[in-house]
Amino acid sequence: MSKFKFLGVVVLAGLVIVGCKKDHHHPEHNHEHDESELITTVQLNFTKKGVSDSTFTVLFNDPDGTGGNKPISFDTIRLDVNKTYTCDLILLDKSKNPIDTISNEVLEEADDHLFFFTPSDNDALSVTINDKDSKGRNLGLKTSWVTKTKSLNAGTVKVKLMHQPGIKDGSSAQGETDVELDFPLVIK
Amino acid sequence: MKNFLFLILMYIQFQVVGQQTCTLNLTGTVSDLHNKMPLSGITVMLKETNSKVHTDSLGRYVFTNVCPGKYTLLCATIPGFNPIKKSVDLVENRVLNLQYESHSKELGEIIIYSKKEHSLHLKTLATDVIQGDELEKNKGVNLGELVKSVPGVSTLNTGNSISKPVIHGMHSNRLLLVNNGVRQEGQQWGTEHAPEIDPFIAGKVTVIKGANSVMYGSDAIAGLILIDTKSLRDTAGIGGEVNLVGSSNGRGGVISAFLEGNSKRFSPFSWRAQGTLKAQGNVNSPDYMLINTGVKESNFSIETAWKKNNYGLEFFYSQFNTKLGIFGASHIGNLSDLQRAFQSKVPLETGPFTYEIGRPYQVVEHELAKFKFYFNTGNAGKFSVTYARQYNFRNEYDKHKPLNDNLASLNLPDLEFHLTTHLADVFWTHKSWKSWKGSVGINTMLQANTYRGRMLVPSFENQTAGIFWVENWHHKNWDVELGARQDWKQLTVYLPSADKKTLLPTNHNFERTTASIGVNYSIDSTWKFLFNVGSAWRSPSVNELYSNGLHHGAAAVEYGTATMNTEKALSTTFTLKYSKEEKVYVEITPYHNYIQGFIYRKPTPEPVLTVRGAFPGFIFTQTDAILKGIDFHGSYHWNSFIETKVKGAVLRAWNKTENEWLILMPSDRIEVETGYHIDRNRAWKHYYVGFTSQYVAKQTRVPLNADFVSPPADYWLCGLSAVTHVRISSQLLELGLNVTNLFNQRYRDYLDRFRYFADAMGTNVSFRLKYKF
Repeated sequence: MSKFKFLGVVVLAGLVIVGCKKDHHHPEHNHEHDESELITTVQLNFTKKGVSDSTFTVLFNDPDGTGGNKPISFDTIRLDVNKTYTCDLILLDKSKNPIDTISNEVLEEADDHLFFFTPSDNDALSVTINDKDSKGRNLGLKTSWVTKTKSLNAGTVKVKLMHQPGIKDGSSAQGETDVELDFPLVIK
Repeated sequence: MKNFLFLILMYIQFQVVGQQTCTLNLTGTVSDLHNKMPLSGITVMLKETNSKVHTDSLGRYVFTNVCPGKYTLLCATIPGFNPIKKSVDLVENRVLNLQYESHSKELGEIIIYSKKEHSLHLKTLATDVIQGDELEKNKGVNLGELVKSVPGVSTLNTGNSISKPVIHGMHSNRLLLVNNGVRQEGQQWGTEHAPEIDPFIAGKVTVIKGANSVMYGSDAIAGLILIDTKSLRDTAGIGGEVNLVGSSNGRGGVISAFLEGNSKRFSPFSWRAQGTLKAQGNVNSPDYMLINTGVKESNFSIETAWKKNNYGLEFFYSQFNTKLGIFGASHIGNLSDLQRAFQSKVPLETGPFTYEIGRPYQVVEHELAKFKFYFNTGNAGKFSVTYARQYNFRNEYDKHKPLNDNLASLNLPDLEFHLTTHLADVFWTHKSWKSWKGSVGINTMLQANTYRGRMLVPSFENQTAGIFWVENWHHKNWDVELGARQDWKQLTVYLPSADKKTLLPTNHNFERTTASIGVNYSIDSTWKFLFNVGSAWRSPSVNELYSNGLHHGAAAVEYGTATMNTEKALSTTFTLKYSKEEKVYVEITPYHNYIQGFIYRKPTPEPVLTVRGAFPGFIFTQTDAILKGIDFHGSYHWNSFIETKVKGAVLRAWNKTENEWLILMPSDRIEVETGYHIDRNRAWKHYYVGFTSQYVAKQTRVPLNADFVSPPADYWLCGLSAVTHVRISSQLLELGLNVTNLFNQRYRDYLDRFRYFADAMGTNVSFRLKYKF
């Protein structure tokens, strides 16, 4: 073997190794699963018990997700005194086309999720959870809101969703927070 | 008594005879123990008579007409080698051959000479070299932890597995890593992105402190870290080395080995193949297990060279692969989760020991392929052309899979980056002409970054070109260095359009001239000073220009500022060295680094409202900053066995525009090591036992309202290290023991992101074995 042959082999071996990994050169757009899941929108659909056509919606809406533009709506929950409301909670990802309904995924993984509803004044409002997970523990997509005689001008309700994979025990001091919003509350 | 008298008589007689006949010759050769090559031009000195000679081209030295008596033979110190000091009892003509052994112990020796050409131009900067024993001692740790032993260098950690070097308070894109002469191009902008280099490839790690863009281009605002492999074998034969490291905390194990050779038939051809495997499980803090803190690493490299007198060809390839677990309890959903984590005495999640790495984790790969060709241009100099390709791949997995089952089943990373970089350099180095020596060169780079998954930073392309000229003037005790450079950079960022269907390119152009001037003056054999004024620059990184959203790792919403311009540094370093008869050594380096357009995260006036509640907001903003301080180290030999070393660093980092301290700066620290060292020509060839104690002060100089919790308390850590060499037949076996956090202290470090969630690692005992053949 001449030394040039030898050199050739060395260079060739080098090129073979280098050639193994392809260049990712051209920024392209792009892949189906590019964006990870977001919760952009929390929708509360209230219905006054015993009154037909009384449904109204309260929204937190930040369609481009965290950062970027500010949330475009953060509504006040307005309730009447001495009434009972049912509430359906819906979580949406409006950054996707078509819009992704995240609350369906939460329902599917009900065993790992738990909502908390905490009014600023328990003498004015109480919230009870009506739906259960597969093990009979609370979930919170469906709730009843009962107002009392006391009116409130500038209260809040904290709506909190905890992700508690394998550690759901009814406490909010477990897992990670997926949603935490203080909705303004007015009871007249 | 009779015997005693006889001895005295003998002694007197000997003295008398000795004084009468000063005709003895002391001769011998000086060579390198490792490759048996003779060393020419080495100063050899007889201490008692103060006579000096130099070795000739065959490494020979001759002392003639020497009187009989007891002498100490000294050789000039060569960095990277143990000093030579021999006692000779001269009664007749004698041949004494001396060998330099490459086991430098002295941390912080300046490189005065090296085979690699870049070292030519570093004589006037504050430079620390880690090699020999210091490098051996730290085998098995990652690169960040390795360079931490240099005064003025600390680390920015995300737990124990991710540590980034910090020089004079600066890290990431403000310091430049040069791997085998090639700029390391990885995802260094992220604070949780560790350098993608296997420390086992290093034969020498050089830390250069102070701004200097002249040799390698942008980013060297705080300094440079050069990683060089050791020289290839140039004598026929095959050799190698096996290193085994085991550590108690995390039950980690590392095996690293290399094989190298040079054949008789193709004597210009040398080669080396090297590989490292590393696995470590969850580590313990003094009170609890830190879950998901394991590491797996597999790396290899191949180096070949064809070396003739007038030309040469080199090829180097290395691959670095790692999977890193991220401490589970550090992943939080929002600020109330973070608050809960702060308040909890024990992390919110703990678990048993396992090697298993679960979510969240990172998978990182880095490849480097380098070709270099050089030839001599007559007697005038040397010309070299280098081409290097790097490919960096980074996948990050969040703590939880997506809720959507279809998505979850794909198990895609939440962040994925591909960074490809092509570098081409041309250099011409001219030989000494009227005491001037220097190089001119051109560097070019083409780079592309693409992503999949969440858009943390957009895709981009990067084109740079630079041209430089450096000269060194050497005369007697003086060295003067001058250098200048011009760089151009075009950054093209591809942002998705509003409907997310197309990508819109945006160009950013940067241009910068940098220069450096320095002096190195030896006043006499004891005093020496170095002075350097240098400038450096960097362009804003893509995340600083275009971040827009929640940074999970930082629990903050970050906004980039696309209009930002370059960051420019002007640094002055001054080093004073004092050494006396190998007994006392003192080195002190005050420095001042003025940075115009220093990019930092400025808190937004209002918190940012998100579906997870309010988050602190930060906007990347430019300011003028001053980072100044003092690094020092010294050693004192109490006697020939016991040595005490002291090193420390003080830094003050001030935001001039806002009139406040800069965040995340290392606090003042000092370390003292006392060691007992013995050299014997027996089976246990030499051994060393050292005790280290380090004090790290609490960082009290922090900006207001920019952090979640105040900096952690100060702490003391102690350590122990021991080394011995055992000769088994003709082979040398090196055994080492290293204990860190000896007393299992509970502590948290200000520059460790996990300080919010858990105590740092407890005691770790590591044992290493090196077998050379």
